[in-house]
Parts: sequence; structure tokens; C-alpha cells
Amino acid sequence: MTQNMTMASPGFGLGLRPDHYRDFLAGPQPVDWLEIISENYMVPGGKPLAMLDAIRADYPMVMHGVSLSIGSDEPLDMDYLEQLRALERRVEPLWISDHLCWTGINAHNTHDLLPLPYDAPALDCVVGNIGRVQDFLGRRILIENPSSYVTFRSSDRSEWDFLAEMAERADCLLLLDVNNIYVSARNHGFDPLDYLAGLPAGRIQQIHLAGHSDMGDYVIDTHDAAVCDAVWDLYATAIGMFGPVATMIERDDDIPPLAEVIAELDRARALAGRALEPAHA
Amino acid sequence: MPEALREVQQRFLSGIIGGDAGAEALIVDDERVGARQRLDIYRNNYRASLVGVLSDHFERLHAYLGDEQFDNVAGAYVAAHPSATRNLRYYGDVFPAFLAQHFPGDGELAELAQLDWALRSAFDAPDIPLLDAAAVGALGDAWIERRLALHPSASLIAVRFNVATLWSALDAEEEPPEPVEFAAPVTLLVWRSGQQPHFRSLSPAEADALAQIEAGASFTDLSAHLIDHVGEAAAMEELAAWLGQWLADGLLVLADQPFAVT
Repeated sequence: MTQNMTMASPGFGLGLRPDHYRDFLAGPQPVDWLEIISENYMVPGGKPLAMLDAIRADYPMVMHGVSLSIGSDEPLDMDYLEQLRALERRVEPLWISDHLCWTGINAHNTHDLLPLPYDAPALDCVVGNIGRVQDFLGRRILIENPSSYVTFRSSDRSEWDFLAEMAERADCLLLLDVNNIYVSARNHGFDPLDYLAGLPAGRIQQIHLAGHSDMGDYVIDTHDAAVCDAVWDLYATAIGMFGPVATMIERDDDIPPLAEVIAELDRARALAGRALEPAHA
Repeated sequence: MPEALREVQQRFLSGIIGGDAGAEALIVDDERVGARQRLDIYRNNYRASLVGVLSDHFERLHAYLGDEQFDNVAGAYVAAHPSATRNLRYYGDVFPAFLAQHFPGDGELAELAQLDWALRSAFDAPDIPLLDAAAVGALGDAWIERRLALHPSASLIAVRFNVATLWSALDAEEEPPEPVEFAAPVTLLVWRSGQQPHFRSLSPAEADALAQIEAGASFTDLSAHLIDHVGEAAAMEELAAWLGQWLADGLLVLADQPFAVT
């Protein structure tokens, strides 16, 4: 059992989306904390920053980025890191996360979370970059497991082995996306329980839950639907294994009324509560 | 010797952005879902996400063209202009110029796109202290000599087509009128007020006056310029009306103040 490197769970949160600004300003919501997409607030001014400041006054926040491109085999984008640090100073987040992926190279950006080969050169690249980002920010960051649709021929280890070694070597924390594990397990044919068992429990700071699109032969991580039953089951298993971990619903498209997302969050609370009850004789 | 990660990434990226089939050799092929079909998921994601961003940034142009035509035009732009920005917020800056170049016979398309982009830019432009009636009062008589500027959210756009009317009809989800080309260009003012972007058409005289301010004129400079053109009585009457409106709308700032850090 690895030592616990994480801070105590702040509870159950939601991704803050502009559709719900009005609800959060209107009155208290049964949400313990909020996650923002960092890039949405890397703008000069106007309503996004005014809403951010107003809502931050009432809720703890965490920052979740999509553009760090920690796996690109080229120097880090220092302009981006400066903007990230400026936003960090404004928000004073509980933590900052991004993805195990790369988004582009040679100044071309796909704005997609592209997969990495799971081999030694990619591991060296990612570990080095995480170290540089953590030195720059002066704090540990969280790296999220991606969903993926391809396996590189050069991959010589599983994603969970890669993540575990990355986390130890870079001394970073993990954001576990349970839906992504389900999606990738379906796409690549591995057992999600092997995945969970291979992770360093003491470094898992946060969990994402989301929906996806089932295409039959494969599954796409669309974040535009409710969390499915198989992902709820996997979540309960993960909480049983890892203990109370800060959990949130991540919805990026077809945003429903806030009450619907809160109902999903309540389901997460209830499931986590049951998963943590002492087993009956 | 194995390929370096950087080379793998260049090849994979060409496979996504350029549709290069060479990337498929990097991927494990299996009987259930082949390498090409797996890479196609990324190719489709790439195109769909950038077209989706253009649709967000150019919402009224999308409504004007309809889904199918917008998808074709936006897809052509994505193919011609791979994103070089880190933040998607800034993707599409040369879409209006692309439309002007490729659809010279439909000039309203580029202008509608230009108006959409200016409104989007006004939305999250820097926050800097406004020159409002209270600030003018605090400066006293000396204010008339201070060089002025437009607030960073404000911009002036010269248009040849009735895009203001088109935009408003599309915004109200009504059938837009036919595009009409004016005999002379008209200037639109775009600005932010109460956190929301707005626009209005300007008379030639007000457009000229705001262009003077954009170039750093003081109120004294502007008065002299206007007296030269229309005579003192008319100049004073127009200036008094404009100034009240500009201060109320939050268009003016002092030119010599530092912009907010962005």
C-alpha cells in the first residue's frame, strides 16, 4: 500500500458550465465544490471572469485544463504556463489537473486529447514535463487517464502500469476518470478491475464521472449523456478500493438543467456512502 | 532503431490533420475495428470539434447559411487553416477573410462573420476603468485636453451590406431579408455594456467622430475637427448629444491609462 499523498476529500462537485451560472448566483446549491475548465477563463475580461469571481466567492474550486499537452515531445508552452499561473493566483484552486495526452506538435493543435504510446520514451517525456510544470507552479498536479481508441504498436505496457510508474517517478497525483476506464476497456478489450488494481491508491485525488456514446463495436467519450449503469458499478468498486475520493459529474455537451446533474451527483453520494459502509457479517 | 516520440507524433498528427494514411502503420490493427477506422475516430473528432467551435463563434453566419452549407464552408476553412492557437477561443480569427476570398460574389457572408467575431471579441475584452459622467466630473475642466480612446471592447466595422439587419433577423430566429449592397459603406459600432455585446449603425458624422477618438483625439481636438466640418452651432449640438450617449454606453476611456493585465 502506497502512502497517501492526497488532501482529504472536499466531497462531491460539479463541472461549472455557463448554462448554470444563473443557478449558482441565485442561491446555494447542494454542491461541495466546482471544477472549471481553465482555458475558458484564460481570456482578458468581461462576463467569464466576472462570473468566475462571483461564484468562486461561494464555492471552493479546482482547475482542469485541456491544453497543457504534457505528452508532446517538444518544449512546454511557457506562455500557456504563465496564463495558467495567473489564473491559479486568481482562483486559488484546491488543485490543478490536465490529461495524460498530447494535443499537437510543431505549433499545430488538434484541441483533442491524443493518445500516447505506452513505452519508455513516452514515459520519460511525460515524467520530465510533469516535473517541469510542478516546479513552475510549486505544487503537485493531477494527471487524468484519457479515453482512447488506438493502441500504438510500440506500446509495451498497460495504461495502468504507465500511469503508476509516471505518478511515482514524477511524484504527481491522479485524476481517475471512471468513464474513460470503461470506454478504453471496451475499445481495447481489457478488464477494468485489472486497471483499478494497478493504480497507486494513495495518489488518487479526484474522480470524474461522465457519459459516452456506445457505437456497438466501440465507445466514444462524448460527455453528452447521463452516466451509465456499468460506470456507476465501476465507480462503487473504485470507492470500495480507494476510500472517499472527491467525485464530480463532468458534462460538456447537451447540458441539462442543473437539477438533473445534481440528481446524478446525489446518486454518486449515495453509491459512495454504501461502498464505504463496513461489510456486514 | 525505434522511431523517436517526436517523429511518431508528427506522423500521427499528419494522419489526423492531413488524413495521411502513413499514420495507420503506427496503430495496432485488429479484426473487430481496424487501424483506419480507429484513426478515423480522431479525424472525425478533429473536424467536428473545430467546425463546432466555428459554429459557436459565428452563430448568425451559421443560421444564415443553414447546417449543411455552414458545415461545408467551415470544413473547408478547417482544412485550409489548422489551428495554431493553444486556446480554442481564438480559433477562427481569419474566417471572415477566408469567406471574402472564396465568396467574392456573396459579400454579406464575410461581413456577417466579421460582425459575429467582433461581438465575440467584445464579450471577453479587457476590463479597464471607463470614462463615465462621474469620472469626467472628477477630472474637472482639464478633461477636455486629455487624449481619449475607445474601450477595448469597442470596435468600428465598415460594411457594404445590410448585415446589421440580417444579423438582427437571424438573432430573432426570423427569415432574414435579401442581402442588399449599399451605395456607400456604413460603419457599425460594436461594444460591450452590462457584460453583453451590442452593436448599432452609425451616421457618417458619428462614425467619423469615433474614428477620431480611436486615433487618440481629445475632446478639444474633436470639437475643432467638427467645427471645421459643420460650423460651431451644429458641432456643439451634435457633440453634446453624442457625448451623453458615449458616456452612458461606456465607450470612452483615457488613452494614457495602462490596460488591465491580461
